[in-house]
Amino acid sequence: MSLRVIVADDSKVMRQIVKRTIRQAGYDWDVTEAENGAEALELAKAQQPDLVLSDWNMPQMSGIELLRALSASGLDIPLGFVTSEGSPQMRELAASEGALFLIAKPFTADSFRDTIEEFLE
Amino acid sequence: MTATVIDVDHVVAIAQDVFTAMIDGEPGLLTVDAPSDELAGGVHAWVDIQGDAPLRSVVSVGSQGADQIARAVMRLAPGEAVEEEDLTDALGEVANVIGGNVKALVTIPGSLTLPQVTIGGSGPLGGQLMWQAPLRWRSHRLVISMWSLENYGKDVTL
Repeated sequence: MSLRVIVADDSKVMRQIVKRTIRQAGYDWDVTEAENGAEALELAKAQQPDLVLSDWNMPQMSGIELLRALSASGLDIPLGFVTSEGSPQMRELAASEGALFLIAKPFTADSFRDTIEEFLE
Repeated sequence: MTATVIDVDHVVAIAQDVFTAMIDGEPGLLTVDAPSDELAGGVHAWVDIQGDAPLRSVVSVGSQGADQIARAVMRLAPGEAVEEEDLTDALGEVANVIGGNVKALVTIPGSLTLPQVTIGGSGPLGGQLMWQAPLRWRSHRLVISMWSLENYGKDVTL
C-alpha cells in the first residue's frame, strides 16, 4: 500500500532518518518534508495526505499545536508523533488529543513497522 | 526544591540505544571510558528540561568525533563534506533524543527546550554539575554531563 505522507521535524537529519526508516521498514511511501508544524499544516491543506508523522517539539508550531490545528480545520488526516518524548504522560496527552500513535526516538525499522502496521489495517 | 536524581548508568544506557538505532546500526560501539581531562574545543550539544527542578543534558565530543557522528547519521559517502549546518543538526538531534528520554525519568518535568549546539569552547555556561559520563565512540572521546539549573540565573542575596 503506497501512502502519501508528510514528515514534520525541524531537524533535517531526523527527517532523513525517518524517511530512511520508512524505506527500511518496507514501505514505498510518497514522502513530503516539513520543517515545522506551520509548514506541515499548509502542506496538509494542499495535499490532503494519508498520514502526517510529526515531531513534538518544533519552532513556530509544535506537533501538538499542529494536531489541534488539523482537527480545528476539519481535516480528517491521521497524525502520529515521532518524538524523543515517549513517557507515559506524553503518550496519554497525545492520545487524548487524537494522535493515532506515538513512536519514541530512538526507533528501529522493526519498532517503526510494529507500530505502523496496526494502523494500516 | 531538591534536584531530581538522574542515574548516570541509566542515561548511558539511553545514549547507547540512541547510537545503536540512529548512528551505528549495531550495538556496542559506544562504551564506557576512563575519566580524563576536560573535553574542550569540541562540539557541545544540549537540551534543557525545564520545570521545578530544571536540568541540562549535554553531549560533548571532539571536532573529529562530531564530524564522524554527523557522517554516520547522514550516511555520507567517503570524501563527502560535512556542512557545519548539518553537523550542528546531527549533534543537536543526538542531544535532543538523549534529553527527551532523560525527561521521561523526571518526576514532574516541564518542557524540553530545542537543542543548542556550540562549536569550540568549553560548552554551555552555568548550572551545577551533577555528574559526567566519559564514553568512547569508535576511537573518539565523548562525554555526557548532567547539570542542575535549579539556581541558575537566580539572584543570590548575601
